[in-house]
Amino acid sequence: MPTSLYLYLIEAAFVLPLVGAILALVLYRVHGANTATQFLFAASGVVGTIGIAGYFVSGQGNVAIQVISGFTVTPLAAFFLALVYLGTFLTSIYAIQGLRHYKKIYSIPWLNVTSALFILGMQATIMSGSVVAFLIAWEVMSIAAYFLVIADRTDDSLRAGFLYFLMTHIGFVCLASGFLLLAQGNVFATWSDVALGAFLISPQMLSVAFLLLLAGFGSKAGLVPLHQWLPYAHPQAPSHSSALLSGTMLKVALFGFIQSLFLFPFIPMWWALVVIVVGLGSGFFGALHAAVERDAKRLLAWSSVENMGLIFSGVGIVLVLRTLPDSPVAWSLAGTMSIFVVLHTVNHFFFKTGLFLAVGAVASATHTRDLDLLGGLARAWPLFSGVFLTLALAAAALPPLGTFFGEWMYLQSLAVAMSVLPTSFAVASALIMVVLALIGGLAIFTFVKLFALVFLGRARSDHAEVTTRMFGTLLWSPLLCVVGSLLVAVSAGSVFSDVAMQDAIGRVASLSVMPGASINVWFVFALFALVIIGVYLIRRAFTNVAPVRITDTWDCGTPLTPRMQYTATGFAAPIRFFFRSVLVSRKDLIKEPIAAGNPWIARRRLDSTIGSLWEHTLYMPIAYWVMRASTWTKRLQSGVIQLYLLFVVCALAVVMIIAL
Amino acid sequence: MMYVLIFLQWICVLALAPLTVGIVRKMKAHYQNREGASILLPYWTILSLMRKEMTITRHSSWVFRVVPFVVLATAVCLALLVPSIAYGILPHAASNIFLIGAIAALGSVFLVLGGMDTSSTFGHMGSSREMTLAALVEPAFYLVLSTLGLLAGVWSLDGIVGYFAMSPWSAVVPVASITLLALLAVILAENARYPVDNPATHLELTMVHEAMILEYSGPYLAMLEYAAAIKLTVMLVLFMNLVLPFGLLHPAFGLALIPVALMVFVAKLTLGGLLVATIESTIVKMRFYRMQEYMSVAAIGALIGFILVLIGHTL
Repeated sequence: MPTSLYLYLIEAAFVLPLVGAILALVLYRVHGANTATQFLFAASGVVGTIGIAGYFVSGQGNVAIQVISGFTVTPLAAFFLALVYLGTFLTSIYAIQGLRHYKKIYSIPWLNVTSALFILGMQATIMSGSVVAFLIAWEVMSIAAYFLVIADRTDDSLRAGFLYFLMTHIGFVCLASGFLLLAQGNVFATWSDVALGAFLISPQMLSVAFLLLLAGFGSKAGLVPLHQWLPYAHPQAPSHSSALLSGTMLKVALFGFIQSLFLFPFIPMWWALVVIVVGLGSGFFGALHAAVERDAKRLLAWSSVENMGLIFSGVGIVLVLRTLPDSPVAWSLAGTMSIFVVLHTVNHFFFKTGLFLAVGAVASATHTRDLDLLGGLARAWPLFSGVFLTLALAAAALPPLGTFFGEWMYLQSLAVAMSVLPTSFAVASALIMVVLALIGGLAIFTFVKLFALVFLGRARSDHAEVTTRMFGTLLWSPLLCVVGSLLVAVSAGSVFSDVAMQDAIGRVASLSVMPGASINVWFVFALFALVIIGVYLIRRAFTNVAPVRITDTWDCGTPLTPRMQYTATGFAAPIRFFFRSVLVSRKDLIKEPIAAGNPWIARRRLDSTIGSLWEHTLYMPIAYWVMRASTWTKRLQSGVIQLYLLFVVCALAVVMIIAL
Repeated sequence: MMYVLIFLQWICVLALAPLTVGIVRKMKAHYQNREGASILLPYWTILSLMRKEMTITRHSSWVFRVVPFVVLATAVCLALLVPSIAYGILPHAASNIFLIGAIAALGSVFLVLGGMDTSSTFGHMGSSREMTLAALVEPAFYLVLSTLGLLAGVWSLDGIVGYFAMSPWSAVVPVASITLLALLAVILAENARYPVDNPATHLELTMVHEAMILEYSGPYLAMLEYAAAIKLTVMLVLFMNLVLPFGLLHPAFGLALIPVALMVFVAKLTLGGLLVATIESTIVKMRFYRMQEYMSVAAIGALIGFILVLIGHTL
């Protein structure tokens, strides 16, 4: 593909959402306007993806190409741009049908305008070539995301939106000050200027800048302790926007972080250790809260915290390994950990986008996201439940889906690190593996719970008694996500298998360190398929295949009701109990007397809440001191005009003293 | 030759899996001063279940019917990929330790889904508990496998067992003793044995595995029982092969030694069964809400074992 052609395609992908936004406003009341707009968004996604493919195929995949003045595509940017394009495509396809039921709740034309700005903001953030362009694009993206969060204008959304608005601007301040520190105040510096300028800065200042950038990008990516807004804000947006927020926007934050790593002249080990600790902490808290959550979309949002934490910990490990001097083994391990980061980014994109869309489809049919009220949907929608189950297995990192191969790379790299790195690193690797395995176990718990409580058993309330069939168009995007995850598995699998590993030894002296540090997926896939077919045939041939008798569930003589089933709250009870000190969970028996004077006749109910450790130990104390400080300063505001005049005179006097 | 051995190993495990269950039950009966049923009873159970009519609850979906196939398939894969009577026959890439961990996890997940699809409180209780245990046992499981890999210098179970078989007993097993104890704890938890679960009772509030498969009947129940037997056999033989790495076949030895290896295999199964029966007869089941202590002990044991092996590795 000639250079100009794919540049045009990328430019077209940039312009098409804008056209869509204008179209949405022009056709404000016209029937079918939403469909036309979403088609334009989807077209932007397709065109952009082809453009990125062209960029890599054309052989210029290792150079930076200027798209328009000030906006460039680098190889790193191209990878993340492809995710933005794919995300735009998948979510727009879904929104054609998905928004149809919500005409009364959302103002759809304005929602589409906001989505367009959001998509543009993400693209521009990734392509921006200078500090000022980056900050402006970042802000466009953040503000547009705010309007997506408050799209249904309920109290919950406004509260979540406020929290998000606050956190994203704390993050923005961190980013702006971090970049300005590095660029020595020059807002218009390009990235290469910043990188050059950073050589002149003292190491202490560099550390401050690094921590500011980590906090800024971490607050957007949902890393502890700045994750508090994410589980509240992401679920409040319309489902296709939630998918875009969780599946794609978090990756833009990751991109920003990785890109800014290249601005530093050197990266000392303690920075990398901070990244690992923060990443694993996010992974643990995200996984734990996801395991005990009962709101389906909030569960997915917590899982995003977990997965972004895993990815950041992977980045941290790469950074640590790169600091070891003269150690080819460490560098090749850094290579394999980078493979994990790339794979998990793609995998998380696919399964999270797919799951948010699928949960959105369930919520639009049942009008609830509460897992305690759902159940039994697999009988109504067999095909849809199959797609959902596959996505849930992908999210739980089980074979044969793509996520498994990414996490395998992580575990295998840690195992190799134990044997080839110096003792202190080996012990650290073992500790990381323990945490990682715990996170992985909790993730399996979470997604088994999600699937089982939505689709299996009996309907736990009238909400889940659906008889309508699932719209085929709502199924397409989740199905494409399943295909994407399988494609990742197949392509990653062929890299990890023995033969391909041997070819790769020359380039990355990767896992040739020890035999067996590879998995041959083809073998496993084939074996699994053969065994299932074999078991099926044996079952047909040698066992009783008479038609089964359909009966009631065995009930010990008392008819079962759906309310006797476990709920999501009940299912997660052991986890809540085992981790009760971390989860700050509370149970209150509330007793309201019905007849005054008789304490025995009362209405009792159980109120169970799960708090956040960080809210109690970090946010509340800060809020307390801020309130104390503002109460104290309020004393100055007496409302007496003479006092204010005195302040003005004092201020003038101070200014004069300083100026003269 | 290699393929013959792989096939032989696979068939042996599949054929003798119900026997393991029978041996454990017989020995437990002896501990309780009972005669006990014949050790061949599990075979008859499976065969008669295969001929029985099935009943399926009307509150279940297609997932309920898929579960036995997937669970049995994961168990059969484990039987093929875990070395039991020979070593040096499987490609390293196929018996990678984390792959085997993931296949075992896949089986547990589907078993849990089967329990959840019954809409009975028993199934749901068993599923909730099984999933919790499976989640909490992962850290110890993966760390134990990696430690053994570190000791052996290879990341496949086949290679690990091969390393144990080729090294002098006193040079490897004492070093790995703590790790092997942690492995035993993991195996007991994974296979729903004491002190984690009580495999002998039905409809007690203590149980995990039996509660999940309560609604299954006929051929599907036979498949799930068989899968559980295979998993127990595979893990028990793996443990015995690490503790007593003797009498294992290698392609270089030739076919003449196959009868010896088979006898050693049966002897190891008997010893393993005795071990499990002794554990189940001498300790009490732990309360479920104390399981985090058991899992923490397993994980800490795995860490201590790792550090011991690491010290041995660097010296």
